[in-house]
Amino acid sequence: MSAALICEGIQKQLGGKAVLRALDLSVMAGEVVSLLGASGSGKTTLLRAIAGLTHPDSGKITLNGAEVFGPSRVIPPEKRQIGMVFQDYALWPHLSVAGNLAFALGPQRLPAAEAQARISHALDVTQLGPLRDRLPAALSGGQQQRVAIARCLASRPQLMLFDEPLSNLDSALREDLRSEMMDLVRREAITVVYVTHDQAEAMAVSDRIAVMRSGEIAQFDRPETLYNAPATPFVASFIGGFSLLQGQGEDRVFRVGEQTMHLPAPAGPGVLVIRPEDARPASEHPLTSLTGRVIGAAYQGRCWRLSVAIGGCTLRLDWPGPVQTGADLTFSLPPDRCRILTLDPALNPKDA
Amino acid sequence: MRRNGSSGTKTASFPSDRRVSYLNIKRAAQTRRTPPPRSLALPGWLSFAWVDLPILAVFFLLIVLPLLSVLAQAVMPALFDPKAPGFGLDVSALNHALFAPRVLRSILHSVELGAAVAVSATLTGGLFAALTQRFALPLRALYAPVPWLVFLTPGYLKAMAWVLLMAPGGYLAQLGLLPHWGSDAFFGLGGLVLVHTLSLFPLPAFIIGSALAGLGQDLQDAARLSGAGPWRIWLRINLPLLLPAIALSLIATFAEVLSDFGLAATIARSAGFGVLTYGIYAAASDYPVDFPLAGAEALVLLTLILLVTLGDRLLRRQGALRLISGRSKPSQRQELGPWARWCWTVVIVGIGALAIWLPLAVILLRAFTDTLGAGLAVSNFTLANVTETLSPSAPARPAILRSFGYAALTALIAATIALILAARLDRGGPNLRAWVTGLALGTIAIPGIVLGFGYILVWNRLPGFRDWPFPHYGQASLLVMGYVASALPYCLIIILTAVGQLAPSLTDAARLHGHGVAARLVKVVLPLVLLSVVTAVLLTFIRTVFELPISQLLVPQTGSPVPPYVVRLLGHDDDGLASALVLVCMVGAGGIAGLGWLWAQKHLNFAPKESLS
Repeated sequence: MSAALICEGIQKQLGGKAVLRALDLSVMAGEVVSLLGASGSGKTTLLRAIAGLTHPDSGKITLNGAEVFGPSRVIPPEKRQIGMVFQDYALWPHLSVAGNLAFALGPQRLPAAEAQARISHALDVTQLGPLRDRLPAALSGGQQQRVAIARCLASRPQLMLFDEPLSNLDSALREDLRSEMMDLVRREAITVVYVTHDQAEAMAVSDRIAVMRSGEIAQFDRPETLYNAPATPFVASFIGGFSLLQGQGEDRVFRVGEQTMHLPAPAGPGVLVIRPEDARPASEHPLTSLTGRVIGAAYQGRCWRLSVAIGGCTLRLDWPGPVQTGADLTFSLPPDRCRILTLDPALNPKDA
Repeated sequence: MRRNGSSGTKTASFPSDRRVSYLNIKRAAQTRRTPPPRSLALPGWLSFAWVDLPILAVFFLLIVLPLLSVLAQAVMPALFDPKAPGFGLDVSALNHALFAPRVLRSILHSVELGAAVAVSATLTGGLFAALTQRFALPLRALYAPVPWLVFLTPGYLKAMAWVLLMAPGGYLAQLGLLPHWGSDAFFGLGGLVLVHTLSLFPLPAFIIGSALAGLGQDLQDAARLSGAGPWRIWLRINLPLLLPAIALSLIATFAEVLSDFGLAATIARSAGFGVLTYGIYAAASDYPVDFPLAGAEALVLLTLILLVTLGDRLLRRQGALRLISGRSKPSQRQELGPWARWCWTVVIVGIGALAIWLPLAVILLRAFTDTLGAGLAVSNFTLANVTETLSPSAPARPAILRSFGYAALTALIAATIALILAARLDRGGPNLRAWVTGLALGTIAIPGIVLGFGYILVWNRLPGFRDWPFPHYGQASLLVMGYVASALPYCLIIILTAVGQLAPSLTDAARLHGHGVAARLVKVVLPLVLLSVVTAVLLTFIRTVFELPISQLLVPQTGSPVPPYVVRLLGHDDDGLASALVLVCMVGAGGIAGLGWLWAQKHLNFAPKESLS
């Protein structure tokens, strides 16, 4: 597989503030890559730079081997053959569903028969055939989103960009549309860059996820790798509702206040990443057990979600039964699931 | 980055067609060797020449040059002298304007009237807005459309109706409802304040109403849950939050009264209550003309308006509290007890009746009766006035045709220029946009009488313009140009607002699919703002049919349009014919605009009707 999209050393400042810092990103053909980050992390700016709607201050963007942005060449967005599904879908409200697709195909100057065939195909795979003559205002949110995708599919773009396409839908609809949308994209084998701030969404849609933080990529990996082996406390705090427990690593021991866990830990201050589902009864792994005070418990159906205070940190743990608030709880963690990261000085512990 | 052209795109494709000529291949090879400039924006001077210059030229010719001429005339009395023009500075005319008792009195009159009306109109408009927005009152159809109708009806028509009601032999006196002293008091400050208030209260009602709409229900509910009663909520919560809007209303109304010409040329003139605008008109057009005096009076008027506008700017800059958020719930209309409900209904229906229904009824009545003195007697009713207005031989008919023709032409020209300007501004930088928007807003504040006077100075006296064949002084072409100038700022603001409301993603999406600048403008932007363009056309049409000050100053030699003709008929006590003429124009213009608007609403409105999701 070859790289369909390569971004090298992308820098961008807005109002004197660096939004993208020497950022590198490479996406393989047919791959779905998510840019995951909080607002202000630069993910949307990167997406718009790839589309050509904003220009970086420096760097190089290559699309299927052709440079579209670089020191000597800037290809305008209308010549890049990139499709984009906007957050608000950007359906042209005065054109019908089929009219939206036809207008999008217009500049390609296809023979009429081929244009018709492409429109019909795109409407078929998105199941919009019966709605082809409706105006966007007469469609539901989910249908509008399908039109936005059909419009991109019909143009056969080299690359498809998704700018938080699910954020305008209610949560019940979101999951259904997400799988439907990604089925379509995968069936057509389109290369996708997908921007979102929702880690569950990113995990569900992506082959690889680039976790972004203040204009840089903090980690770029497969979803399983991010989940099982977050590279930094920041990534760990952003993924999966993990809790971070601060402590001190010493010679095969990790100390948390006056408690000791027998774990291989790098010397010096560090954080222990605790996934909620890893909490076990104290007897299962006595060498890696901890005691804390339960300060809250909420029933979640398959388990109880406890908030447990240890030292200055609050942990989120899944527990099979209710525990009285204010009681002490001793639990253990499987040693092979314990991951200790050196403390990232920039991370405010409260963010965790 | 939006103003890039097609440069920089040539390198992207190499001609693959074998029949392509040698020249093309050579050209393509050249472009491959020499990379296009990194930045796709036009170079600074080129963008200025192509984008900014035409915009500035249009504004300069239509508005800035006439205004500059007026200001120059005020301090250089000999500048536009047809026999011996000179650039000598001389403030004697200004001195005269500031210290001659007659002129000084008109300045004081204008300020006094403006201050009184600012207070009374703001009170009336605020009350109207509060009652319509916050209380569930019956008979809504009787008062809901009132502000819009009053806003669209020109001042001199309302003045005409009130004179018919309040004159010594008028309808109220005939019915025994108005004592003699009441009639005397009407022709003076009292009557002017009354008619101005009834005709300007929609402005505060709009301003305060939109501020009230921003105070969501949650604020009220929170105060009620803390134990505050309705009066306390109004005094301690709503009133302080509305203060910026109230101040803005006072300022806007004051400026409106200063620049009014409709009442100045009717009630104020017959009452001998001289105000600045009429002074300018008299000095610029009554024989012997005194341009230096008109210029000096215009300078005083503009200075007053500038001061008021600065106050407005300061207020806006201080920034009203921003309470309008997507999350705040719109407030509900409060239910009242039976007594309060009917009392307030009487108040609000009364305001509506006095402001529009009564004047319209009076014009209708007068149009279908023979003499004012015979009043409501059955024998007095006749179709003669209306028949005479519409008869082919009468002078009224060509006036109507002229006015409708000029208005239609003006509406189309102004809307087209505004659309092109809006599109160009959208491509220009943010600075230019801010400049032109500011200029347009400022131009709205310029009284029509001053603009008209500026047109006389430029096109009747300035060498080069004086002999220019088209537009030419004394011809309809110049009148239409004046109309366009006074309508352009309104059109521009309506269309710019509509363009600004389009989500940028709509044009971005078209761009990503390969559409160039022209296609995006014609096929995406234009259809989506067409409703606003049509609205601008229709509003300009109605406004121009009844436009008085510029019509009055630039009457073409070929014949008068409707507004000066109506004022002349009133001057000759021919109020029956004047009423019939006004009625015919109102029905005609209102009918055309109403039908046009209904059509546009049906075919050009792409907003979602209701959420289906």
